[in-house]
Amino acid sequence: MGSNRAVQEAVSSNPSVTPQIVESTEALTVILLISCWYIAMINRVERHLNLNTHAFHSKLLFEIEEKAKFLHPINSSATNLARVLGSSLNGSAKLSFSEIETRVAPVLFQALSTVTYLSQISYIGLEGLFFSYYTERNQTFAVYSNSSFSSDRSDPNVRKNYISYIQSVNNKTGKLYGKAIESPPLSMINTSWFQAALNSTHGYASVETGWNNVGDLLFLNSARINGGGVISLGFPVEALTGIFTSMDRQDESSYLATKDGKVLIDQGLPNIHMVLDNNVVSLQLMKPNGDQIGRVGNVSCSNLKDGMPRASILNIQEKEYMFSCLLLDIVGVPSVYLLGFPQNGLVSLVHKNKKVALLLLILMIATMVVSTVSFVLIIIRAAKQEMHLCAALIKQMEATQQAERKSMNKSLAFASASHDVRASLAGLTGLIELCYDEVALGSELHTNLRQMDTCAKDLLGILNSILDTSKIEAGKMQLEEEEFDLAQLMEDVVDLYHPVGIKKGVDVVLDPYDGSIIKFSQVKGDRGKLKQILCNLLSNAVKFTSEGHVTVRAWVRKPSLQNSIIASKRNCLPCLFYKNSQAYNDLEAMNAAQQDPNAIEFVFEVDDTGKGIPKEKQKSVFENYVQVKETALGQGGTGLGLGIVQSLVRLMHGDIGIVDKEIGEKGTCFRFNVLLTICENISCDTAKSEALDIEEGCTHQMTVSTPNPGLCIRTPSPKLAIHTPSPRLKASHVVLLIQNNERMRTSQRFMENLGIKVSVVKQWENLPFILRKIKHKQSSGKSDLSSPNEHLSRSPSSTSITIEMDKPLNTIDGSDYILSVFKRTTPRCTSSFILIVIDASAGPLTELCKIVAEFRKGLHNTCCRVVWLEKPTMRSISFKGVEDDMINSNDVIMSKPFHGSRLYEVVRLLPEFGGTLHGNIGKQKRESMPQVRKMPGDHPSSSRIRSYSENYMTQRVELQDHSSSSETPGKKIFSSIQNLSHVRYSKSRSPLRHGKSSKEQELQECGNPSNEKFLSGKKILVAEDNLVLRMVNVSSLSGLGAIVEYATNGQEALQLVCNGLSDKRKHGASNILPYDYILMDCEMPIMDGFEATKKIREMEKDYRVHIPIIALTGHDASSAEAKRTIEAGMDAHLVKPLRREDLLKAIRIIDNKQKYV
Amino acid sequence: MDGVVQLQKQLVDYSASLFDEGILDEQFNQLQQLQDESNPDFVVEVVSLFFEDSERLLNELGKALEQQTVDFKKVDAHVHQLKGSSSSIGAQRVQKLCIGFRNYCEELNTEGCLKCLQQVKHEYSLVKTKLETLFKLERQLIAAGGSIPT
Repeated sequence: MGSNRAVQEAVSSNPSVTPQIVESTEALTVILLISCWYIAMINRVERHLNLNTHAFHSKLLFEIEEKAKFLHPINSSATNLARVLGSSLNGSAKLSFSEIETRVAPVLFQALSTVTYLSQISYIGLEGLFFSYYTERNQTFAVYSNSSFSSDRSDPNVRKNYISYIQSVNNKTGKLYGKAIESPPLSMINTSWFQAALNSTHGYASVETGWNNVGDLLFLNSARINGGGVISLGFPVEALTGIFTSMDRQDESSYLATKDGKVLIDQGLPNIHMVLDNNVVSLQLMKPNGDQIGRVGNVSCSNLKDGMPRASILNIQEKEYMFSCLLLDIVGVPSVYLLGFPQNGLVSLVHKNKKVALLLLILMIATMVVSTVSFVLIIIRAAKQEMHLCAALIKQMEATQQAERKSMNKSLAFASASHDVRASLAGLTGLIELCYDEVALGSELHTNLRQMDTCAKDLLGILNSILDTSKIEAGKMQLEEEEFDLAQLMEDVVDLYHPVGIKKGVDVVLDPYDGSIIKFSQVKGDRGKLKQILCNLLSNAVKFTSEGHVTVRAWVRKPSLQNSIIASKRNCLPCLFYKNSQAYNDLEAMNAAQQDPNAIEFVFEVDDTGKGIPKEKQKSVFENYVQVKETALGQGGTGLGLGIVQSLVRLMHGDIGIVDKEIGEKGTCFRFNVLLTICENISCDTAKSEALDIEEGCTHQMTVSTPNPGLCIRTPSPKLAIHTPSPRLKASHVVLLIQNNERMRTSQRFMENLGIKVSVVKQWENLPFILRKIKHKQSSGKSDLSSPNEHLSRSPSSTSITIEMDKPLNTIDGSDYILSVFKRTTPRCTSSFILIVIDASAGPLTELCKIVAEFRKGLHNTCCRVVWLEKPTMRSISFKGVEDDMINSNDVIMSKPFHGSRLYEVVRLLPEFGGTLHGNIGKQKRESMPQVRKMPGDHPSSSRIRSYSENYMTQRVELQDHSSSSETPGKKIFSSIQNLSHVRYSKSRSPLRHGKSSKEQELQECGNPSNEKFLSGKKILVAEDNLVLRMVNVSSLSGLGAIVEYATNGQEALQLVCNGLSDKRKHGASNILPYDYILMDCEMPIMDGFEATKKIREMEKDYRVHIPIIALTGHDASSAEAKRTIEAGMDAHLVKPLRREDLLKAIRIIDNKQKYV
Repeated sequence: MDGVVQLQKQLVDYSASLFDEGILDEQFNQLQQLQDESNPDFVVEVVSLFFEDSERLLNELGKALEQQTVDFKKVDAHVHQLKGSSSSIGAQRVQKLCIGFRNYCEELNTEGCLKCLQQVKHEYSLVKTKLETLFKLERQLIAAGGSIPT
C-alpha cells in the first residue's frame, strides 16, 4: 500500500519537469521571434531612413534652388536703374563730369542706400568718365574720375586715361567731403563685362573684383543706359553665398562655382577641390600645398531630369558620397552648385547602432538561453533527485513492509510455537492435578507435586507474558484484576526460589518486616503480573548471588491518608529509606491524586548479596535486551526480564528502581511500589467477627487461627483489647538457633515486634550455655535476660514492651499490624513458656537433641516446646537416628524455609497467641502438619475424580488427546471422564474388526490419532439428507469408533443439538458438549447446513460452549461454497465423499484450536 | 473347492475389470472395507439404496426436463444429489457425468441437459448391471461356501 502511494507521489511530482521544458522551448521560440522581428524592424528603419534622407536631400536641394530664385529679382535692379537713369538724362550721350556729379551721383547714392546687399554702385560713361560709390566697413567712399587726364599721355592713339580719385562720402547726404585721394586709374571701358553690358539690352552679370582696398569678389550687375554709359551694381559674393552656406549642415560638402570656373564656395571635404569644366564638375584630390594628387570623379550637371538634379555617387577617401549638382542663377550669374553628402550618413549610423543592438540582443538572448538551460538542467536534476528519493523511499517502504511482514510471521510462528508449548504444559498440569489427588495428603510427593503444579502454572504464566511483551510495547497490556492473598503470593514466590537458592547455598528469606502485608494481604490486583515481577526479580537475585542471602520484604504505605502514620512509621524504617523519601513523597502525592482511597501502595524490596550492578549501568538495566556484561557472563538469559518488570510495574501505577546500598554492603536492592486495592468487604466481615471475639473475651481460649491468613485479617481498631499478660505471668521466651543470620535477624525482629522475648543463638555450641542461663533465670524467678552476655542478642524492644502496652495502639510503630493479626489471649497456664526453634542442620542433630533434653529435665513450672526446622528432603532421614525419648511428643518438626505462614504458626504456638501448652499439634507431627501447611486450592471436582480413579489410566490417555478442549483442570477431568464412558460404550457396540493385531489395540488404547479408531468415544452427529451418503458416513464414523447419531436435515440436527444441550444442563454439566463434532451437509431440504449452523451457534451462546461443526459439501475447498461454510460459523470444510484422512486432519485442527479458546 | 477357487478368481477379475474400466473407484473399496461381521450386507444395502435413490432421481429428472419451462434449480438439485450418492458408492463415471450435467444446468441448456440425462441413464444402467453381476457372483461364492476375497 505504502509503496503504491509513494509511486503515485513520484509520478505526480514528475510532471513539474515538463512545464519547465515547455517553458524553455517557449523561451527559445520567443527568442527566435524576437530576432526575426528585430531584423524586420531594422530593415524597415533602414528603408524609412533611406527614404527620409532622400527626401531630406531633395528638400535641401529644393531649398537651395528656392533661395537662388529668391535672389533672382536682384538681377533686374541694374536694368531698372539704368532705365530710370536713362529717362532722366534724356538721351544725352555724353555727360560732363559735373553733370555726372549733379545728376547721376544722387541717384546712385539713393540706390546704394536702398538696395539690399548692394555694396558698390558705379556709373561709367562711354568716354571713360565714371562715378562710383562703395562701402567699406560701414564707410561709404566715392571713386570718380574727372576729365583731367594723366600727363604722361604720349600716344594719341591710345585712349586717354582719366585720373581717378577716392573721396569719403557722408553716409546720410551723399555729399563728398574730405580730401580726394588720387588713386591709380581704373580703366573700365576695356573690361569685358563693360563691353558685354554695353552690347546687351538686358544687362549683364559677372563676378568681378571690387574697387575697395580689400578687393572683394562682387557679383557685378551692369546695364546699359539709354544714350550711353553703363550702370553697374556690385553685390558682395560673400553676402549672397552666405545664404547658402548659412544652412547648418554636417557631413555635407557644398561647392559653388560660376559657369566660367570661378569657385565661390568651397566648403566640405578637406583636400578636395572642384573644377568646373563644361557642365561637368570634376573633383580633384589636392595636397595641402595645392598640388594635385588625382581626380576623384566627375559629376555631370547637364542632364537634369524633371528639374531635379541627378545624384552621382563618388567614393572619396573610402567613403561614399552622393553629389548632387544644381544649376543656379545667382544675381544673373549662372553658376553650379554642388552638394555632396555621405551616401550612408544616417544609414551607416543605423548600421552601426544596429550592430550594437544586435550584439546586445544576442547577448540578451544568450543570457536567456543560458539561464533557461541552466534552469531546466537544475529542474531536471532536482526531478532526478526526487525520483531517486522516491525510489529509495519505495525501497525503504518495501523493506519496512518486508520487515514488518517478517516480524509478523515471526510473531505468528512464535505464537503458534508457544501455543504448542502451552498445550504440553496444559498436559503437564493436568497430569499433576491427577497425581495430586492420588498421592497421600501431606506426603513428600504431595509437596513436590504442588511445587510442580505451581511451576507449571508459572511457566504458563510466563509464556503468556512473553506473548504479552509485544502487547506491553504496544500499550495494549491490560491488568487482570482479581482478588488474591498477597502474603500467600509472596510466600509462594519465596518458597519457589528457596530450593533453588539452597542448592546454590543462598538462603531466600521472606522478611515479614512490620507485618503490614499480613494485615492488608487480601487485595485486588493483577496477581499473575505481580508474581511475575517478583519471580523475575527473585530469580535474578538468586541467579547473581553466589553466597549470602536474598531477602524479600514488603510493606504498606497508605498514600497520604494518614500522614502521621507515615511519618511515624518512617522513623522506624531503615535509614535507607530516607534517601528516597522525597521521591516517594512526590510519587505518593501523585498516586494519591489519581487513585481511589481504597488503593494502597505496596512497596516491595528484593535485596541480595550478589555481585551488584555498577552504578553507571543501573539505569540501562531496565531497558530491553540489556545485560550487565561483567556480571551476566556465563549466566545466560535474554535481558528481557527487567524490561518486562519495569513495564509491568508501571502498568500497576508504580515505579521500580535500584536502591543505593551502604558502602561496603554487597549486592543489589531492587525496590518497586505498586498500587493495589484492598478488599473492603472482607475487612468489614472480619471486623465484625472480631467484635464477636472481643465479646466472647477470654473464654475463647482455643483460638487456633485458620491457616489461611486471608481469613484472619483484623483491622486495627482502638477497641481491640489487648490482653496484657497478667503480672504474674512470665513472658514467653523464644530461643532461635538458625543458621542463616539474615533469617535469624528478620525472625527475631518480627517476634520482638510482637512483644516476645527473643534470644538468639548464633552457634549451636552456645546453645547449652544460653539454655542454662535461661533455666537459671527461670528458677531464680527473674525474667530479665538483659545481662551483658555477648552470645545473647538482646532485643531493644524487650524493655519497650511495657511501654507499648500503655500506648494507644495506632501509635505503636509497625507492630500494630502484626498485633492485629495475632490475637493475644490470656493463657490459662500461669507458668512461663519457652519456645526453642532449632535449625536441625545447624549442628549435629543428636547433640542438639541431647542439649534440649538436658534443658527439659531441669525445668519446673515452665512449659517448653521445641520446633525443629529441617530441610524438606531430610525429614525421613534425619530423625531416624534419634531415639524417641529424645524428641518430646510435643515437639514440632517443621520443614524449611522458616518464614511466612510457618513463622506465624510458630508464633501461634505461644500461649499469648492462642497456643496451648499441651496442644494436639505435636500429635500430628508425623503427618503433614496441616496447620502449618496451607491446603492446596479448592478443587471442587476432586471427590468426583477419585470416584473414577479405577479408570484412571485410560482416562489419562484420553486426557492427553482430547481433554484439552476445556480450560480448567476441573473441566478437563470432566470431559475426560465422559470420553472414558464413551470409549467403553463404543467398544461394546462396535467390536474390533477381525484381523487386528494386539499391537494395534494397544495403539488404540494409547489414543494415537492416526489410528483407525481415533474417534473412539466421540459422539458425532451427522446431518445428511441423502440416504446413501448418510449411511456411508455413519458407518465409516462408527468404524472409527465414534458414536453416531444422524439427522436428515438441518431442522432435525438443530433439534437434536438443542435437546442435547438442555439435557446436559439438567444434569448440571452444561459445559459438556452434547456432540463432540457435527458433520453437516450444506444442501439439505427444510433447513440447510448454513442456517442450521447459524442457529446452533446462537443457541450455544447461552450454554457457553462451542460444538465443532464440520461442513461436508460437494464443492472444492477453494470454492465460494467452502468459504460460505466458514462464514456460517463452521469450523472446517470437507469435500464429499468423506475421507478418513481429511476428517482426521480437520479434527486435529479443530482440537488444536479448541485448546486455546 | 475348485469351484470356489474359480468363483473367487472370477470375482476378483470381475471387480478388477470394473476398476479398470473406470466404472468404480477407490470409494467402493472403502465401502467394502466398512463392511464387517456386524454388518455383513452393508455394501449391498448401500448400493441398493443407491439404485433406489438414483432411479427416483432419474425419473424426476426426466419429468422435470419434459416440462415446458424447465426448473433448472430443481434439476440442479437432483443432479447434485445424484452426484453425491454416486460419489459415495464410487460410481465415478456417473459422478463425472453429473459434473457436466450441472454445467449445462447452469447454462440453462435444455438440449445439453437432455443429452446428459441420456448419458447418465446409460451409465447408471451400466453400473447397475455390473454391480448386480458382482453381487450375484459374491452371493454364488458365499453360497458355495467361500469367503469374499479382500
